[in-house]
Amino acid sequence: MRKLFLILSILSICFGKVRVVTSTTDLADIVKSIGGDHVTVISIARGNQDPHYIEVLPSYMIKVRKADLYFMVGMELDLWAKQVIDGSRNQKIEVVDCSVEIEKMEIPAGTVDASMGDIHRFGNPHYWLDPRNGILIAQLIAEKLTKAEPRNSDIFQQNLNAFNHQLDKAILDWQNRYTNLSGKKLIFYHNSWPYFSNRFGLETVEFLEPKPGITPSPAKLNRIIQRIKSDKIEVIASESYFSDRVPKFIASKTKVKTVKLAQSVGAIEGADSYIHLFETNLKILSKAFGVEHD
Amino acid sequence: MLQKLIGVLIFSGILFSQTTANPQFSIVGDLVMDQLQKDPNLSSSGIEIAVQGYVNPFARADVYLHKHNDDSPIELEEAVITVERGLPFGLGLRAGKFRPDLGKINKDHAHLFPFIEAPKGISMVLGEEFYTATGLEVNWLMPLPWYSNLSIGYFNSDISDHDHGKNVSDHIDYDHEGGDSNDGHIDEEHDDGEKQLKGSSARWSHFIDLNEVNHFEFGTSYYVDHEKSFGGADFKYKWRPNKYRSLTLQGEVIQFELGDKHEEKTVHPKEVLTAGYLLVNFQFNKAWNVGVMGDFWQFDLADIHNMDPSIFIGFSPVEESAVLRIRIGQVANDHEGYDKKHLKTTAQLIWSLGPHKPHRY
Repeated sequence: MRKLFLILSILSICFGKVRVVTSTTDLADIVKSIGGDHVTVISIARGNQDPHYIEVLPSYMIKVRKADLYFMVGMELDLWAKQVIDGSRNQKIEVVDCSVEIEKMEIPAGTVDASMGDIHRFGNPHYWLDPRNGILIAQLIAEKLTKAEPRNSDIFQQNLNAFNHQLDKAILDWQNRYTNLSGKKLIFYHNSWPYFSNRFGLETVEFLEPKPGITPSPAKLNRIIQRIKSDKIEVIASESYFSDRVPKFIASKTKVKTVKLAQSVGAIEGADSYIHLFETNLKILSKAFGVEHD
Repeated sequence: MLQKLIGVLIFSGILFSQTTANPQFSIVGDLVMDQLQKDPNLSSSGIEIAVQGYVNPFARADVYLHKHNDDSPIELEEAVITVERGLPFGLGLRAGKFRPDLGKINKDHAHLFPFIEAPKGISMVLGEEFYTATGLEVNWLMPLPWYSNLSIGYFNSDISDHDHGKNVSDHIDYDHEGGDSNDGHIDEEHDDGEKQLKGSSARWSHFIDLNEVNHFEFGTSYYVDHEKSFGGADFKYKWRPNKYRSLTLQGEVIQFELGDKHEEKTVHPKEVLTAGYLLVNFQFNKAWNVGVMGDFWQFDLADIHNMDPSIFIGFSPVEESAVLRIRIGQVANDHEGYDKKHLKTTAQLIWSLGPHKPHRY
């Protein structure tokens, strides 16, 4: 009898869970925070991968085959997700675009074409790098989890409240502790950081890529070296998946410091959760600018 | 009739989808520089026009047109509706004119390969531009813990209905020493006027994640029509530690029972063509990849065989929208026989407009 009870308990736990797949680790971490033990979640992209270019592997389709929900970044960042979802043959899956409630930045005006590089028609898609947008994403995730498993709606709501509270508190703390970063000028490798910079008052003066997705040419590097010298720019920051070669070459010609930031959860050491991602990036930047808070 | 019906269905599907969103249009073009070391020649294989989009939430349509760089009319390369969601039991369906799931590379367009020319041995089986036919194909994503897909297709034309390029069969001679001219009857007066040109194909493929950066896939294929059949096996191993580095090892072998004819030439009724290739491709940074390929074929009874090694290099300066490919390799002269080889260098520039990319393998 006890064995039967144990088996039934295990089965109810297994079958009561909402099966979730996300495009990125950031969305997966927020799903974990809201869903807790009542969800299973898998991210297709790893934290240290460029979410623009994920090689669609057939094994991803197996991960999505039995999922109830798929959370995608949207704004044409993870276009590959469609191929994964279609190939999974999953008819009941609900696909959720997490960008719907986001106030988008850098929506291009006029005609968009390939002469502008890998530009996104609907605006810059790296919106999760503003922690305030994390709250909007979490709200959407909680709604969808509740719809998928209404019996656990109270738990999801409690978890959402706890997540929002924790994130609100952290944002306030970061804005106090890292106030010295405000107004600091830096160069980014790729234009992944407008939401992050906007939130923490950083000033992006240049990108290493001449246009999104385009490798910097020697002429461009020369211009950047001159600009670093003339404007006394202190830091070049790049995403974890870019090679160090170009930033280090520039550093060898100037006194600029080069750092790698976490563009996603799991991209670098320390960025092991959505909240820790910001903490880690802010720490790295404040150290590079020499404005570390005790 | 079937072809027309499928064409109308696909066309109307695309037309109705216009009510919500336009399909995506792409063009892929190229420039080929051949025989670079002695008699340089510039040419183009023309342009490929791709029109792709969702017909409804369950199906998408893909139409590929090819305009060769000559006076010939625009050719319908593929027009296929693919139902991926909505069918029960993990089933999928393709209907129309398309490249059947047969072997490792038959489904892929030539501009997706890391090499320029399709392996000669595989072309001798599937045709110079590979096997494209009008028909139906059912795919079953099997309920196994790893990706395992079974495809079964039925088509209204067989593989002999395709241009197999240069006449390798002209060199088949059963009178040479070691040949077996008495082991069977060779019918010179074969009448194929009443042939039912139907072909059936099957493929069972698997994909296994060894870990996050190592993947292995393998498959077996089978084809049969009224007089010919072949079986094939293929594999691919890929190591991809990061975005800009990968190592691919890939190979395929096909054993083709020819019936009694190959490339319009009568052959021994028990003749078997064995063909295959093996390649290694290494992408070492964002823009460059380099590889080697061995391409072989053999007529077992006629005892003629060939092996052409080559080196290929790929350069993609701007992501995936333009690729320069170079091939340096040994080729046989079709007119002089397969024991006389010369070195051939070919370069190809491929460019694309739109989402259908000439990206690397």
